[in-house]
Amino acid sequence: MASPDPHNTPETEAERRAGRLWARTAVMVVVGFVAVFGVLGFVIIPVAQGAQAGIDPWSAICRAVGVSPGSPAMRQPVSDTPAQPVSNVAWTPAILNTLSGADRATGQRLAQEVCSACHGESGVSPSPNFPHLAGQSAAAIYKQLHDYRSGARFNEQMTPVAEALSEQELAAIAAYYAEASDDLRLGTRNPLPDERLQRLVSEGDPSRGIPACNACHARGAGGPIETPMINGQHAAYLEAQLTAYANGGRRNDIYQRMRTISAALTEQERRELAAYYQGTR
Amino acid sequence: MLTTRRLVLTHMWVAFATFSVAIILGVWQMWARSPLRAPFLTAENYFNSVTMHGVSMGYVLTTFFIMGFGYFVAETALKRPLPGKTWAWAAFWMGILGVLMAVLAIVTNNATVLFTFYPPLTGSPWFYIGLVLVVVASWIWCGLMIVAMAQWKRANLGEPVPLAMFATVANAVMWLWTTIGVAAELLFQVIPAAFGWIHTVDVGLSRTLFSWTLHAIVYFWLIPAYIAFYTMAPREAGGRLYSDTMGRLTFVLFLLYSLPVGMHHLFMDPEHSTGFKFVQAALTFLVSVPTFLTVFTISASMELAARLRGGTGVFGWIKALPWKNPMTLATGLAFFMLWFGGGGGLINMSYGMNAMIHNTSWVTAHFHLIFGGTVVIMYFAIAYSIWPHLTGWTFRSPGRLRLQLWLWAVGMMVMTIPWHYLGLQGQWRRVATFDYSDPMIAGWGPWVIVSLIGGLILLASAALFIVNLLPPHRKWARQPGPTEPYRYALAAHPPRRVPEVLNGFTLWNLLVALLMLAAYGWPILQFFLTDAPEAIVHRIGG
Ligand code: HEC
Ligand code: HEC
Ligand code: HEM
Ligand SMILES: [Cu+2]
Repeated sequence: MASPDPHNTPETEAERRAGRLWARTAVMVVVGFVAVFGVLGFVIIPVAQGAQAGIDPWSAICRAVGVSPGSPAMRQPVSDTPAQPVSNVAWTPAILNTLSGADRATGQRLAQEVCSACHGESGVSPSPNFPHLAGQSAAAIYKQLHDYRSGARFNEQMTPVAEALSEQELAAIAAYYAEASDDLRLGTRNPLPDERLQRLVSEGDPSRGIPACNACHARGAGGPIETPMINGQHAAYLEAQLTAYANGGRRNDIYQRMRTISAALTEQERRELAAYYQGTR
Repeated sequence: MLTTRRLVLTHMWVAFATFSVAIILGVWQMWARSPLRAPFLTAENYFNSVTMHGVSMGYVLTTFFIMGFGYFVAETALKRPLPGKTWAWAAFWMGILGVLMAVLAIVTNNATVLFTFYPPLTGSPWFYIGLVLVVVASWIWCGLMIVAMAQWKRANLGEPVPLAMFATVANAVMWLWTTIGVAAELLFQVIPAAFGWIHTVDVGLSRTLFSWTLHAIVYFWLIPAYIAFYTMAPREAGGRLYSDTMGRLTFVLFLLYSLPVGMHHLFMDPEHSTGFKFVQAALTFLVSVPTFLTVFTISASMELAARLRGGTGVFGWIKALPWKNPMTLATGLAFFMLWFGGGGGLINMSYGMNAMIHNTSWVTAHFHLIFGGTVVIMYFAIAYSIWPHLTGWTFRSPGRLRLQLWLWAVGMMVMTIPWHYLGLQGQWRRVATFDYSDPMIAGWGPWVIVSLIGGLILLASAALFIVNLLPPHRKWARQPGPTEPYRYALAAHPPRRVPEVLNGFTLWNLLVALLMLAAYGWPILQFFLTDAPEAIVHRIGG
């Protein structure tokens, strides 16, 4: 492609003029398009659409530029239905910081004084009536305690215990239990070797709208932050919770996630899954 | 013999080896989505696979192919050795290291985040750092391309830069602009989130930064195909390029209008106002200008070739083209697929119609057709065209090359037509399994199976491609390769001189800056001026 003509011939005046013309045209075309599109998108269309929706031109332009909320085409309806949160826990950065900066020593003291009577020494509970706490995720413990305190979840024994604790103390206890030694912690047992349950747990059952339990209930699965670790938990406790979700006895799960899932399971499946997750050493 | 021979071959083999693994995953994914029971199917495996497939096809195949091809063009079009070969090898190894890090993160289940960077879901930081290394490697390549062209211009004052190199540098310059968005997103948002240094992330900002990259990246992948259309196909068909100026203009327009348009991926997002979406939608339509310029110029060049071979008639000349030549055949098939893919693209980029297909299978079908179809078939053709110059042997049975290209085009159509249709029916993308016992969607099943058959044809084609590239068996005498250097298509009227603006990128860079300021200035600034809500980071495996 390189032409054989002599190097370094100076540009002629005509060539220079052609080059300038190219550059000027290019700039004009580019700026022109932006200007036309800008006038259309920020002025003409919004003002015309705004007029139909009873919005004055200035507001319509502000909306099109994005300095005031809403689209020019329509007034945004304002909902006046009051929200009814099932749980008062909202995962804000402030709460995450409280949890990550919690004082484990205070947590340990409180746990030994108050909780160990029921939940066992270091959170390993000897009785199936009381859930294990050792190695449970801090966010899960915090959320449940908070829910007991606010009344979103109720239990005759737990509610008074939680009501007596402050926000900082909840976080401290949660942080303490979350850090348990490997041989005690939840999540280290082998689930029952059962192929059918294994499939339900890892694939769910799309025909009944049941998602895979392990999409949320596995370490690092990336589900909701408050998802509790259930591997290794007492089967009786797990079954009781699933039943409570299914019949509405427990309703503190955000977006009804677990109520929906559990209601789609059969009673027998709830029992089998509970045993499956309790697992074996 | 080329001095960049090993460099180019190594890049190409990395690209094609990755491609051949990824295509197996692609077929398995379609199987998983079909009513037939796929082995190993769990949701987690599916998303691991889609992550691996998307990263391999979108980042590894493309980046390594483009880098290797760029080195080839720099040496053969400029007819001088590549400057900074050590840098090129350093970039190569950096890229390999990055790929290995990302792959390791994926196979250990720590990065099921798909190939797009949409927080608050984040995977292992090593996944992102690996991909950053690949990008940095490609920046070194950009630098080398720019330096190579600058040195050539100094040695050949006033002469037009050969079109193939001009286009390669246009792509390099565009890529530098393109990667600013994703690099900012990764460095300031995603990687700190993945490490756990920050707990919340402004997802509006990250989606905006990703959209900065998301459209231009597909043009980065596409430009090698266009380089082949303009500078390789006309010669292989026995003719000349109809107009060198049209070529330059096309590549410059791609540089300008690939960037300020990414918001067309955010039409359904709430964080931007209608005005900016409208402006970017309108700018997107300008991409049709270089596309039509190309369709016109390449058709005219092909007609020139056909008439030189004795073709006559209004359309009769088409028969006279040398369809036995793989590059000519690939160009024809690529244009055929471009026709359908471009039509689909018009729907995607229309602010209103986008609502209909957003996040449906239509989108995946569309980019498979245009990227897997039009672009990748030209990657094959480029490989076939330059392979003899790299290896020193010629293909013994060109029929196998043509068969491979035909299989690819047929497979792609069979795969993507039902896939598009399902998107219109509302089938979701990025979903692992469907419950076909649900009467609402039972009718989708058979169409997914047709797509799966298309995928199997593609798999066969990919296998044949690899076989074709392997050196012929020793027992058969190898046919020696070409002794002359690689030649690019001459223009019908080779330019003696081109205006300086079409021989460099200064003006165009200024215009890109201006366009980006107009299109993205306020949309990005707003996140820093208003108290935008942030989302809690979700870490996989953390
Ligand atoms: C009097 C016995 C008792 C004491 C003391 C007690 N708990 Fe409980 N706790 C229970 C029972 C019973 C349940 C199961 C409640 C239910 O079914 O809703 C429970 C449940 C919980 C749960 C919910 C577990 C889950 O997986 O959802 C948490 C968290 C918890 N307790 C923490 C504590 C902490 C922390 C303390 C000490 C501050 C404590 N408990 C003290 C009896 C007790
Ligand atoms: C979408 C994510 C998700 C899926 C899928 C899911 N869960 Fe849950 N699960 C949760 C969350 C979140 C909670 C805590 C709810 C709350 O705040 O009360 C929970 C709570 C539970 C509890 C109560 C545990 C305790 O310590 O109190 C049990 C038992 C349970 N899930 C079992 C299951 C089973 C069995 C499946 C599969 C059939 C399943 N989950 C699927 C998210 C999920
Ligand atoms: C045998 C041929 C192929 C088949 C059957 C196939 C199939 C698939 C499937 C089913 C998905 C997942 C879509 C989803 O879940 O939404 C996917 C994703 C993807 N494919 Fe392919 N593919 C093939 C070839 C290719 C080729 C040749 C390319 C590009 C060169 C490619 C690029 C991609 C990319 C980038 C994604 C990621 C999509 C996303 O994350 O949304 N594929 N492919
Ligand atoms: Cu795009």
